[in-house]
Amino acid sequence: MSVKSSLRGYFEMGGLTLECRLFGLASLIRVAILKVWSESFVIWVKHKGLSKMLLPFLMALTQSSCTNMVLVEGSLPTPLVEKIPARLGVYYSEEFKSYQYKENLPQFGAYEIDLGNQNLKFFRNLSGALFAEVLEIDSPELTSEQRSVLDAVFIPRIVEYGFLVPAMSTLSFHEVSIKYEIQLKDRYGKNLGRWSFVGYGKAEASRFGSGEAVGEATMLAIRDGGARIATEVAPAMATALKEAGIWQEKGLAK
Amino acid sequence: MTIRCAIFLCLVLSGCVSSRIEQSRDIVTGIESDEAMVILGRASYNERETKASFTECIEAELSGGSGAIRLIPQDKFKDDLYPWFEPRTAPTSASELGRLFTEPGVRARIDEAKIRYLAWIDGDTLTTNKGGSMSCTLTTFGGGCFGMSYWEQDASYQASIWDVNELTTAGKISADASGTSYIAGLVIPIPIIARPGNAACKGLANQLRDFILGGS
Repeated sequence: MSVKSSLRGYFEMGGLTLECRLFGLASLIRVAILKVWSESFVIWVKHKGLSKMLLPFLMALTQSSCTNMVLVEGSLPTPLVEKIPARLGVYYSEEFKSYQYKENLPQFGAYEIDLGNQNLKFFRNLSGALFAEVLEIDSPELTSEQRSVLDAVFIPRIVEYGFLVPAMSTLSFHEVSIKYEIQLKDRYGKNLGRWSFVGYGKAEASRFGSGEAVGEATMLAIRDGGARIATEVAPAMATALKEAGIWQEKGLAK
Repeated sequence: MTIRCAIFLCLVLSGCVSSRIEQSRDIVTGIESDEAMVILGRASYNERETKASFTECIEAELSGGSGAIRLIPQDKFKDDLYPWFEPRTAPTSASELGRLFTEPGVRARIDEAKIRYLAWIDGDTLTTNKGGSMSCTLTTFGGGCFGMSYWEQDASYQASIWDVNELTTAGKISADASGTSYIAGLVIPIPIIARPGNAACKGLANQLRDFILGGS
């Protein structure tokens, strides 16, 4: 047996990837398998006369592979709501655009959740449905040219992200909560309002693998956050714009 | 021969399930061939929630066979009417549909899809009791399992059918099923699995079909 085929055999059979998907019970099994597997591997390497220099590298490579890379994906529905008759500049910070959350759970492995991209797509869709006209801007402060065409600035922000796996919450679901903050400013930078709220999502533990379940719950939390914006925050923003005299009852004159 | 063996094993190793279906009707029902129904799982923010696998089972039962009903998939319906059928915003009674239909575009979107009925499925399958013990050993010389364990499951679901044209509740159907599963360890583990959730799904789907097509 060649070195290459043996290593591939270990990956496929030992299935660190597969093991990472098993929760609860799996933590014990994983430790046991890793122990036996590591010891067998050491014996095998010694038997084959491979350089001991390779051993730490191979061990690190295999034992650090237990990371759940969570992919967030799902449909991007367009809200069925009345548009606010205003021209809004929308500022997405770099942090918002590429938001990532990383956490290492001692018994369950590391999680890397990349939600920025899907969240951004969702918000682009959402803001386009909420306001009569939307222009994405590079800075929350408007230039004089932008001031002449925009009524206000809409700034969404992710304040906090958190998730729970079933073994931590005692529920049978993976749960995710995302705390958002929406800030509305007039064209001169005066604050018109700030709203904080939490989007919540949960996904069946048995239906998806752990990483997939966290991804699904994250998408549902984004969706729930969007529902709150459309049904709760948007009416409050409309009122704030009205009170500030930024409400174009008769449509948007160029 | 293999198929016969598989069928025989399935029959022998299936646990016993008892189920009960009940129905109450408020109005006369019926559905045209171009009209559709939506099966919606009632979601909540607590531990109990109708699992997607159950509503998918109902959808599969209703959309196939004789007397198939045209169904709009739950995900598509929720996307098309976002954000009005999310767990946070979904109407909790048929009377709330009237309020919902005042939102711009909602009534038009439902009419466009020719949706006549919404069936809300609420319930869950719970493990009510479990006991026994079984241990498995694996050594380099072989392994085996010894002992017996069992668990009882209770599936309790209710479908509330709303008539979108009349803006009222057309009726309710409830399905309860319970069964006990066993795993006996005689060197190899032998499972005897009862599936009350599956029984409740089939019972509820068949009754729902009769209810919608059945008339008065």
